[in-house]
Amino acid sequence: MSSLTLPPQTPATARNRRLLEVLGAVAIAGTYIYLVLNQPADITGGPGSASALIALSGFLVGAVLLIIGVLPTLPVSTLVLIPVALVLNIVLGQFVGSTLVPFYLDAIGTVLIAVLAGPAAGAATGALSSIIWSFFNPTVLPFAAGAALIGCLAGLAARYGLFRRFYLAPVAGFLTGIVGGVVSAPVAAFVFGGTSGLATGAIVSAFRSMGDSLLAAITKQALISDPMDKAIVFTLVAVLVYALPRRTRLQFPFVRQYRVLAGTASNHPGNQPTGHSTGQDA
Amino acid sequence: MRLHPLTSLAAAGSTAVITTAAASWPVSLTVIAAAVGLSFAQGAARRMLPAAAVILVPLVLSLLALHGLFFPEGTTVLAQWGPARVTAQGLQFALERAAQLSAAVLVLLLGSFTVSVPDLVAVLSTRGVNARFAFVLASTLTLLPAISSRLERIRQAQEARGLVIRPGIPGRVAAFRWQAVPLLLSLVEEAGTRAAALQARGFGSAGPITSYRQVLDSPVQRWARVVLLLAALAAIVFRLWQPTAGA
Amino acid sequence: MVQTPPPALAAGIEKFVFPGETEPVLAGISLTLVPGSLTAVLGGSGSGKSTLGRLLAGWLLPGDGGTLTGFFELAGTTVRFTGTAADPQIDPGRWGRQVGFVPQDPAGALSTVRVTVAEELAFGLENAGVDRASMAGAVRDTAALTGLAHLLDRDPATLSGGQLRRLAIGCAVIQRPAVLVMDEPFASLDTDGAEVLAALVRNLAQDGTAVVIMSQRAEPFLHTADTWLVLTGGTVAATGTPAEIVAAGALEMAGVIRPRPLTVARPRAGVDYQSAVNGPTALELRDVSFTYRRTRRRGWFKSQPGPPADPVLHGLSLTLDAGEILAVTGPNASGKSTLLRHLNGLLQPTAGSVLVQGRNIGGHPAGQVSRDVGLLFQQPRDQLFERTVEREVRFGLGRDGLAADQAVQRALAAVGLDHLAGRHPAELPASQQRLLALATVLARRPSVLALDEPTVSLDGPGLDRLDRVVRSTTADGNAVVLVTHDLDYARSIAHRLVCLEAGRLRGI
Repeated sequence: MSSLTLPPQTPATARNRRLLEVLGAVAIAGTYIYLVLNQPADITGGPGSASALIALSGFLVGAVLLIIGVLPTLPVSTLVLIPVALVLNIVLGQFVGSTLVPFYLDAIGTVLIAVLAGPAAGAATGALSSIIWSFFNPTVLPFAAGAALIGCLAGLAARYGLFRRFYLAPVAGFLTGIVGGVVSAPVAAFVFGGTSGLATGAIVSAFRSMGDSLLAAITKQALISDPMDKAIVFTLVAVLVYALPRRTRLQFPFVRQYRVLAGTASNHPGNQPTGHSTGQDA
Repeated sequence: MRLHPLTSLAAAGSTAVITTAAASWPVSLTVIAAAVGLSFAQGAARRMLPAAAVILVPLVLSLLALHGLFFPEGTTVLAQWGPARVTAQGLQFALERAAQLSAAVLVLLLGSFTVSVPDLVAVLSTRGVNARFAFVLASTLTLLPAISSRLERIRQAQEARGLVIRPGIPGRVAAFRWQAVPLLLSLVEEAGTRAAALQARGFGSAGPITSYRQVLDSPVQRWARVVLLLAALAAIVFRLWQPTAGA
Repeated sequence: MVQTPPPALAAGIEKFVFPGETEPVLAGISLTLVPGSLTAVLGGSGSGKSTLGRLLAGWLLPGDGGTLTGFFELAGTTVRFTGTAADPQIDPGRWGRQVGFVPQDPAGALSTVRVTVAEELAFGLENAGVDRASMAGAVRDTAALTGLAHLLDRDPATLSGGQLRRLAIGCAVIQRPAVLVMDEPFASLDTDGAEVLAALVRNLAQDGTAVVIMSQRAEPFLHTADTWLVLTGGTVAATGTPAEIVAAGALEMAGVIRPRPLTVARPRAGVDYQSAVNGPTALELRDVSFTYRRTRRRGWFKSQPGPPADPVLHGLSLTLDAGEILAVTGPNASGKSTLLRHLNGLLQPTAGSVLVQGRNIGGHPAGQVSRDVGLLFQQPRDQLFERTVEREVRFGLGRDGLAADQAVQRALAAVGLDHLAGRHPAELPASQQRLLALATVLARRPSVLALDEPTVSLDGPGLDRLDRVVRSTTADGNAVVLVTHDLDYARSIAHRLVCLEAGRLRGI
């Protein structure tokens, strides 16, 4: 065809990127397993900096590999939404983090992208969110892998229809939160030696006072906070995406292809062809 | 002379890594002092120190309360109230960790507060993945301050329509929906326009990219970056090879 | 035989359908753009102008953006679409070098990742891999053409509306496209801004660019166009020279606004006007002064603009009687919107008081005052958040179902949206969104209606509706205050006209 049209996609580049994604996932999983297997000796003995370094570098390398693998494959229409998601994450996360609530609500944007554009976009958004947020708050940097996992799981939940029924969204969020909490706990334990918030810290203290090891106490705290937090986040995202107009929702190929949201497959009878442009037409 | 943005970031990053790897009191305190001193010298202290305080104060308090009061592994008990036991080991652990984290946070903030973001974006923009990362970074930083004024505009428009935010959690949840829906809609719609505009201006196409903005670099800085990264790697390797040295 | 020059762009759109819909947005449109020509696409709100413009410019891509049957002929290449998966995919970057587009909201065209006007202009060249010396030359030339030469080092976020539009045009033409498409470029520009823009368009056309302008107003400048294309319901209602179209009366039928010299009697002007209705005082401003508290914000990436420079009010006094229509005009940034925000308590005067129906509203939150004073902002989208038009109007009307039903019906009928009650507000065209926002305010039956630039983005039928609403609400004994830069409109509707200049009122 002419130079004004695009050539068809080549499969070779796609394969390389898939490899990077897999490597990223392996790095994150390997780091987690290593940390959990080796934890008891380290934490009380010394400052635990070897574990801190392993947690930091393993999770970060994994997150960066994911970004490198996914980012070039995203269409520009998804790419421009990522800053919007990050802004939502950061604004809500900073606000909630400053209150005495044991929640974070710092994943609304990530989950939103995951629901509209799929698991890969969600994972990249989660990782990017942590990395860019660390410009203002370096303490979120080590949680990049956990955030990527949340985005990926949210995308999978959307793909398999858990956002089609409103009551399933919090359930999906709850389950995602369990996984996310378990993965993020070693970071909190080894890098921070605790949690970065006062409210979450109080919960950890309660478990420590019962004699739990630090990792166990933080994991239990995460199992209390994270599933609730993600259930709330998934619910809020469901509220938001269902408030979007049909045409806006359907502009996302992922939503169309997997029928992510209820009522997006068939046409509304009330949809008359009177005004056919978006709000920008005037 | 202004540092090349990658040099500043490399310096901040490897200092943070080396401090974490060193895991020693004197190193952490030296880095903290140096970061604060440099922030004054660079004129970034007025913006950086409050930002650091917002992060570090709750973090340090949380660590002190957590390990100062509850440290089951501690043996030297200094005081005890019910289940809470203040132990020397707990306090030491909390303070060591607090110093180490403060050093890393301060040095990274110093890096991000002194780097010229437009320069960084220009440097990153000229290559594939980096161009996309640079876009996400710069666009987020541009949108972020605009959000609060936009939310304020939406709040005013809705109050003018007669929406009164009721006190209590249900009221806040309702207000979230009233304000978040128009905010999200306008952001998503704008993003759609921006996507089309960017694509029409060649963003995302294959092929070489040039940069209008000139960022000064020098061979010395290029070498310095390599040395800094190697030093950070060496610190990690050393620490993993000898996990308990210096502890 | 005479050889006609090849067209800069030709398009034949049999049918274009948005994803998931069955009714086409555009159908049966064919147009040919000759180099150096000026074409105006005129139509009411929702006629498909923007969709056509975005489709021509490669901003709306056949495939992901919708299903197209038809063809484009650009730069000597013909691209055919049959509405199937095997259709070619347009490369938006290469298309964009041939066809430039300026959207209605020029801020949307900016990259948000460049900190100076010069870098923003160069963004497209950077992506095309142009070397730095050629870029600098192109930036200089384009800046001179668009009148941005003195602004090259400014942050794009600090530009005014008119400057922003010129920047968006500059970004669109810096790669010297053969075609330039502009969506509503004249909307909300004052007379001076419109003249600058008209001169710029003439220059571009002289250089051989085929210019297409989408508009719902037949602006005086557009009468110099070579061709008019009038759209209704996504299809061509009429095409020809401006004179032919005007003679055929096609504009009125398509809902296009035709600004014409005013023939209505001039309203009585002045600050101390006595109402003919002789009703009680609906609204009174007593010696109101206001100064913004200084706030300075520093962004991370670049410095952010603070609030517009000191819109202050100096000792304003004003009474408005029931049944009266008052128009406030004045230049940009003279404090018109600031004044309006005092009427319902969104802003509290630093000195003086505001009385609604004889009651001082000082200290009452805006949400409460809004029962009596309905204020409509310029951006209707900020006010809308529900899933359907009906729910939007019903929101906050209380639990009494029957009374609320009636109020909703009445308000929707008043603005002529009753047939769209089930639609999503965000999917309505801009003109209808404004009318819907008006309905949400009307449903609460305020005794004072305050309107900020009500004519912006309304098409012909929309303007008629607004006129009817304003006249009927005053006939019911309510008062209307409207702020507008459109002096002709103000003269045509208001009982009284005042001018706000530098925070002070004076009669006209």
